[in-house]
Amino acid sequence: MISTRFVLKRLLLLVPVLVGVASLVFAVLHLSPGDPALTIAGERASEEFVQQVRESLGLNDPIWVQYGRFLANAAQFEFGESFIIQRNTSVREVLTNKLPVTLELAIYGQLIGIFLGIPLGILSAVKQDSFTDHTTRIGALAGISVPIFWSGPLLILLFAQTLGWLPTSGRISVLYNVEAIRVTGLVTVDTLLAGEWEMFVSAARHMILPASVIGIYSMALISRMMRSSMLEVIRQDYMRTARAKGQGAKITVLKHGFRNAMIPVITVIGIQFGGLLGGAVLTETVFAIGGIGTLLVEAIKVGDYPIVQGTVLTFAFLFTLVNLGVDITYSILDPRIEQ
Amino acid sequence: MSTAPDLPADERPPLTEQASVRLHLVGTALVAGVAVVTVALVGATLLGDLTAAIDTAFALGSLVFGFGLLGWSSAVALGRGIEAMQEHLDTHTGWTEPDARRAMARILGFGLGVMAGATLVGSFVYGSVL
Repeated sequence: MISTRFVLKRLLLLVPVLVGVASLVFAVLHLSPGDPALTIAGERASEEFVQQVRESLGLNDPIWVQYGRFLANAAQFEFGESFIIQRNTSVREVLTNKLPVTLELAIYGQLIGIFLGIPLGILSAVKQDSFTDHTTRIGALAGISVPIFWSGPLLILLFAQTLGWLPTSGRISVLYNVEAIRVTGLVTVDTLLAGEWEMFVSAARHMILPASVIGIYSMALISRMMRSSMLEVIRQDYMRTARAKGQGAKITVLKHGFRNAMIPVITVIGIQFGGLLGGAVLTETVFAIGGIGTLLVEAIKVGDYPIVQGTVLTFAFLFTLVNLGVDITYSILDPRIEQ
Repeated sequence: MSTAPDLPADERPPLTEQASVRLHLVGTALVAGVAVVTVALVGATLLGDLTAAIDTAFALGSLVFGFGLLGWSSAVALGRGIEAMQEHLDTHTGWTEPDARRAMARILGFGLGVMAGATLVGSFVYGSVL
């Protein structure tokens, strides 16, 4: 049972994290060259009009007033309107459209990482120093070392170009209008909810390659962590006692070892989720999927500050939320953590 | 520096003492930040554009403050996990959660000091007091 106090304490930690990120974003945007008023008004605009824009954006106020206003707006998740990428559309609306794309990618990537990494890590630990162990360790090392911008094009080359099994880019075939059945924004979920089987198959086929690219990296770290954690647990006295009492090796590992070995692995999964969101920027670019990652890169390139602020804070919020979930899972696995 | 949170509950110093230790930790850094930015802004007055210097100083202060606050909260939230991860991966670097927390508290205090100093000087320059 998780105590409310523990969850509240963790929720309270969200506040300094988000204030910290908001401060960093504010500082970076103010220190970077370029005038937002000039960007909005256009280079041919008169000086008078640029001044009007500056006044309407509050850029003529003292910087500490701007900082306070920025923090107050950020607390309400209000970043105004995009002034370049989707002119006159609220940042909240832009993010609502783009966020599910990245989330879907990160979730499937993480699931691949977890469902492959954990069994491989256990297998590697149980069969320590065997051929299986060496192969898994080399695989894990390769998975961590190979960058996404290299593994992505290689997978496209093999599975899409050479073998022709999977599509090269996008989220779903252009023949389908996924917007008509949008509920959650996650294409695979929406197509299932609408009962559109063919659309679901198309969405799933489009998801395999990008999710695998993210998943391979995630799997590598999880399996390595699981191996070392399981190796430590296997040597514990209670494991030896369970075996001495006549319990089978598999049951001992899965019943007594797994839960204890999972604690550090869960932490890694949480920390890694932030990396997955970051990695999604590269994956989205390689597979031409228009998610929040590519939106951020585009916004930085053209100087669409409201989008940059909103996107970065959304990333931070998601990351802290996932870590809150990890903490709760952590305390379920080991109730002593709450102390 | 006291390591109050790392001690068992019965060995910890009273709350007032813990609070004063933390205040001292952040407070000295804050004073240093105010002093540094005041000197820097006086220098900027002699060189030219003070208003731009105030804006830049405040933005730099918020950068340091944001970094410190983020580092501090990350150390509190993930510190133990990172320690465990380093232990399991055999990659000990001597990094510990309490040390990181204290270092980050100093950094955020300094950043806050720079922001406060820039605001104080700026209030005189803009002719308005907050």
